[in-house]
Amino acid sequence: MTAYLFKRLGLSMAVVLAVVVVLFSLLHMIPGDPATIALGPRATPEAIARYAAKMHLDQPVWKQLVIYVGNAVTGDLGVDVFSERPVTTMILERLGFSMSLVFAGMGWAAVLGIPLGCLAAVKPNTWLDWITGVISVATIAVPSFLVSIWALLIFAVGLRWLPAIGAGEPGDLGDQFLHLIMPAFAVGLGWVGYLARMVRASMLEVMGEPYIRSARAFGLKPNKVIFGYALRVAILPTITLIGMGFGGLISATVFAEIIFARPGIGKLIFDSVMARNFPVVQGAVLVATALYILVVLISDILIAMLDPRVRDSL
Amino acid sequence: MDTLLDIRNLSLDFRTTRGRVKALRDISFPVRKGRIIGIVGESGSGKSTILWSIMGLLAGNAEVTGGEILFEDRNMLTLSESSRRAARGEEISVVFQDPMTSQIPVLTYARQMFDILYRRPNLSRAQKREAAIDMMRRVGIPDPEARVDQYPHQFSGGMRQRAGIAMALLTGPKLLLADEPTTALDVTMEAQIIHLLQGLQSEFGATIVVVSHNLGLIAELCDDVVVMYAGEVIEAGEVHDIFHHARHPYTRALLECDPARVEKVTRRLPVIPGDIPDLTRPRKGCIYSPRCQRAMPTCHDVDPPTAATAPGQFARCHLLEGPHADPTWPPPASVLTVGRGTEDLPPRPDPAGTPLLDVRDLNVRFRTMGPIRARLRGIDDPFVDAVLDVSLSVRPGETVGLVGESGSGKTTLGRTILNLLRSEAGTATFEGQDIRNMPESRFKPLRRDMAMMFQDPVGSLSPRKSVRALITEPLLIHGITGRDLDVEAERLADMVRLPKPFLTRYPHELSGGQARRVGVARALALNPKLIIADEPTAGLDVSVQGEILNLMAELQAEHGLSYLIITHNLPVIRHIADRLAIMYLGRIVEQGPTGAIFANPLHPYTQALVEGVPKPDPDRRRKHVSISGEVPSLLRRPPGCDFATRCPYVQDRCRVEKPPHFDAPAGRQHACLFPLTHN
Amino acid sequence: MRESAARERREKLKLFLTNWQGVFGLILVLLFFASAIFAPWIAPYDPNAIDIPARLSKPSAIHLAGTDQLGRDTFSRILYGGRVALKIAAIGVSVSLVVGLLLGMIAGFGPRWLDNLLLLVFDTVRAFPTVILALATVALTGPSLAVVLAIVIVTSIPSYARIARTAALSLRNTDFIMAERSLGAGLGRILWHHVTPNVMGPLLILGAMDVPVIVTVEAGLSFLGLGVLPPTASWGTILNEGYLVIRDTPWMVIAGGIPLILTTLGFTFLGEALRDVFDPRMGRGR
Repeated sequence: MTAYLFKRLGLSMAVVLAVVVVLFSLLHMIPGDPATIALGPRATPEAIARYAAKMHLDQPVWKQLVIYVGNAVTGDLGVDVFSERPVTTMILERLGFSMSLVFAGMGWAAVLGIPLGCLAAVKPNTWLDWITGVISVATIAVPSFLVSIWALLIFAVGLRWLPAIGAGEPGDLGDQFLHLIMPAFAVGLGWVGYLARMVRASMLEVMGEPYIRSARAFGLKPNKVIFGYALRVAILPTITLIGMGFGGLISATVFAEIIFARPGIGKLIFDSVMARNFPVVQGAVLVATALYILVVLISDILIAMLDPRVRDSL
Repeated sequence: MDTLLDIRNLSLDFRTTRGRVKALRDISFPVRKGRIIGIVGESGSGKSTILWSIMGLLAGNAEVTGGEILFEDRNMLTLSESSRRAARGEEISVVFQDPMTSQIPVLTYARQMFDILYRRPNLSRAQKREAAIDMMRRVGIPDPEARVDQYPHQFSGGMRQRAGIAMALLTGPKLLLADEPTTALDVTMEAQIIHLLQGLQSEFGATIVVVSHNLGLIAELCDDVVVMYAGEVIEAGEVHDIFHHARHPYTRALLECDPARVEKVTRRLPVIPGDIPDLTRPRKGCIYSPRCQRAMPTCHDVDPPTAATAPGQFARCHLLEGPHADPTWPPPASVLTVGRGTEDLPPRPDPAGTPLLDVRDLNVRFRTMGPIRARLRGIDDPFVDAVLDVSLSVRPGETVGLVGESGSGKTTLGRTILNLLRSEAGTATFEGQDIRNMPESRFKPLRRDMAMMFQDPVGSLSPRKSVRALITEPLLIHGITGRDLDVEAERLADMVRLPKPFLTRYPHELSGGQARRVGVARALALNPKLIIADEPTAGLDVSVQGEILNLMAELQAEHGLSYLIITHNLPVIRHIADRLAIMYLGRIVEQGPTGAIFANPLHPYTQALVEGVPKPDPDRRRKHVSISGEVPSLLRRPPGCDFATRCPYVQDRCRVEKPPHFDAPAGRQHACLFPLTHN
Repeated sequence: MRESAARERREKLKLFLTNWQGVFGLILVLLFFASAIFAPWIAPYDPNAIDIPARLSKPSAIHLAGTDQLGRDTFSRILYGGRVALKIAAIGVSVSLVVGLLLGMIAGFGPRWLDNLLLLVFDTVRAFPTVILALATVALTGPSLAVVLAIVIVTSIPSYARIARTAALSLRNTDFIMAERSLGAGLGRILWHHVTPNVMGPLLILGAMDVPVIVTVEAGLSFLGLGVLPPTASWGTILNEGYLVIRDTPWMVIAGGIPLILTTLGFTFLGEALRDVFDPRMGRGR
């Protein structure tokens, strides 16, 4: 298990490093002066000079990379071109809004989707299965940003039930919760169907395995067979899927933050892209990507804990 | 005698897209208390379906259309699901065919057994654990206190099947069902499991129903036998009667086809012509009549009578009762009722002169971990020897059998000879030319002279290619032009007796025997001199097995082929090989003429193999199992003799000294410090 | 006797045609293709023709889906927007499928170090959430259709490559590939004749499932103003313009969203039906 842990950890670090390299080389792959590209045509010559000095643009590219990685490891992701505030601080201020949205979205989707998939698999070809199928397809077919827009249209513009923009008053948890409902609904909706289908398919496959027949042959109760045996195995691919799905979830979060003007990382990246504030884009993208890699790592470790075969495969 | 289970007129259909498959028709037989009853039949005979009907765990598309299954006067078919569930695991338990897939991989044995004992509320957790450990000890699992907390994948195949038996017996069931309990295991393990089941039966006094296609296992283990064919019971009786006085023509034919029962060494094995009937079609008369060696016109139209000699002992055949009864049937056991195909073959060319293939001290090593990890763990040599110092030769026109259990390296050796794997050291020459690790560009022309047949008949055919494309592919690969490929395809199909309409089919549409013929045709397409055949009869029913072996023998006589046959099936190889090489853990432990090796093995492992095969004769049951344990992992090769850990005659010297290859009289070789002597 | 190959193909077709979801999906997909290809002939108006007096009108017989803030006919713009979606989807799926197949087979059949290197590259690309990578790139290059296409291709390749690699790896040691090698078949022949046909099925199914993803990414980026630029009509730009006037009229965000949903539904149904018919091992239970 320890060996497995270290291997997975090493791989994740390698990917994070590769991500940094990609982000860094993006800047240098575009022809032209990197500082001008990064800051855009509107930047003042002083800003460009400051940026060039700060990023050590006079140094060879590999050395710039080493410096950037070194700084990033110590928590220094550079400064905002315009306000000169540290990027790390800006990200930390907004991380909470994004995290709460991601987990709320995935959370309600998992709480609804997984049991729905289980029920559909236990009673295949019944009305329950059929309803689940319809719900799944319906929720998958609507892209998350469209859900955001339509939710905005219906609940904020039309019915005026929920606040349209922002993340709520600081300190007022009730207000913050109200502001979280629509984005979380939009971010999680597609996942309800996705998870339900995945769990259903996975359960049906496991239910056909010989060891499930063995469990029934030993006279175990149906609930024990379904939840103690079949789900115990069928949940494994679902965990992988949730881990991998965080990428899509982050994309959905970006849209939701922009549409509902929620001051999270996604909104920060978008605003910085619009303002051509590349150091902020670079830092925020790195943090978002690293978080995603962390989630995948956690899901892999969770699987290793639940599946002794994976644990011993090393 | 008490009847524990009585199956009466059971009929069952499977609803499929092709129509209703009448999988079981009018099945009746009793299971007497305290006996071991064997249900024997070829694939597709419906024998496993009976087991699942007893358990009430049939697939969703199954429909019982009639009959009853009385278990202690309860009809299992009409019982409520909850009462049936109460019987499962407590009163009736099952040992499954493949312990690999039938045990849940994510739970420990302790947990699985704890779950099985859920109906014992008066037992504490500790007591249940104690019961599990105790049962694991009784089925022969060493160190059960520690192993009970392990997961199935941490057990070897044989141990896993023992654990499966322990789980089945945990509740002390009255009836134990065993579905092909040894099919997934090696010969030496099979013997141990048979012995274990016998011992447990007398210890627990349980009644056992064993389903198997293996006549040897049935003869060795069972008291009563039920013979099935295409969904019907065609004969039932006591094991001695069935094996010595079989009354139904099918039972007779099945027994005669078993190479283990053919005493005299023969190049031609008896076969039952034809195929199992399509069970979706309406049936008239005797189900076996299209293939029966004694079919009469009546047989095709009129249902055969049930000729009973005693309760539970009967055969269904027109020859036995009624207007068409033949008092001379069944003939004495010495008379063969099924044919062996064509007349005897011409004498085979005397194997002489220079070997076609000559392998000397060949070594194949596999890497077990990357160089970095090996360094980290301080392992100097991160390799295992899959093939170790193997010397072997095949002369023109000769058939050499390479025999070993799984993990013995026999398949690796075959693939290395064909340069599909790289070897570490040694020499391999073909017609005097050194071929070891030859670059593919230079070796390619030689592939025309050396062909290979792979173990899985269907799996070794590219799934998206038609039979025609498959059997002409060798010609395309080797750029042989100027021949009409359609004509070639028909010629090759003809050569392996594959009907022409099959040329347009795809591999998954072929039966095992037909796919094997395609494999033979591919191997023959380029007129090779040597064919390396990996388990040519694996997965084939007894009656089909003979056809393939006879075909191979005929082709050998016609084309002067040499064969290197890789197999674990000793009864078969006894009939077809001139010489044998026995492999254990990558080494050849004994080599020599087939007859001599079977008559008096020199190496204890050879002896164990020869004795390990259960004889399909209830009068020749073994009293003891000659070797215990399992083949060790290549990662833990014993320091001395490889076989020292399991050898019944082991001496101290064997544990420290690796025996070299010794020459023995009459062209034999062995690798044993203390070879067996025979008087 | 067993069925012949031709009969089996007929049966598969029958199986597909009796699957109402599959047929429904096929109809939607054909509709998507037809409307995009024949847009210039079907569209009642020039998609960029400005008609200020009729701005922000509701759906009516004159303007089937209403008009936008410049009075352009939304229905015509949707039809033309489909052309952008089709172009991106067609090029995106075909290029990433072919490149993914090649890279996957190289990883599966090539040397170990190359496999590991490619895996690291795939993992790195997959580590970026698509929209985030797009944002980072657009921040430097500025928005354009070509950038959207490049991002779609780069982010799709790893999933195709992974499937191709897994299949190639599992095929690599199967008996039938060994059998081909034992006959002397070269690597090219093995890959082209024996591996590709067995990998293609799942890849094409993935391709069908991937179309809605790609269409959504394009629409999403265009919605953010980072993809197709106005005045070119795209479902994303229609939604963007609709979002800006959402408090005045709901019709644009409704009309702009419907083709996205229909396309997603169509390809999802079609892909799943194909999978059920051709690969019964995946997904479907007993």
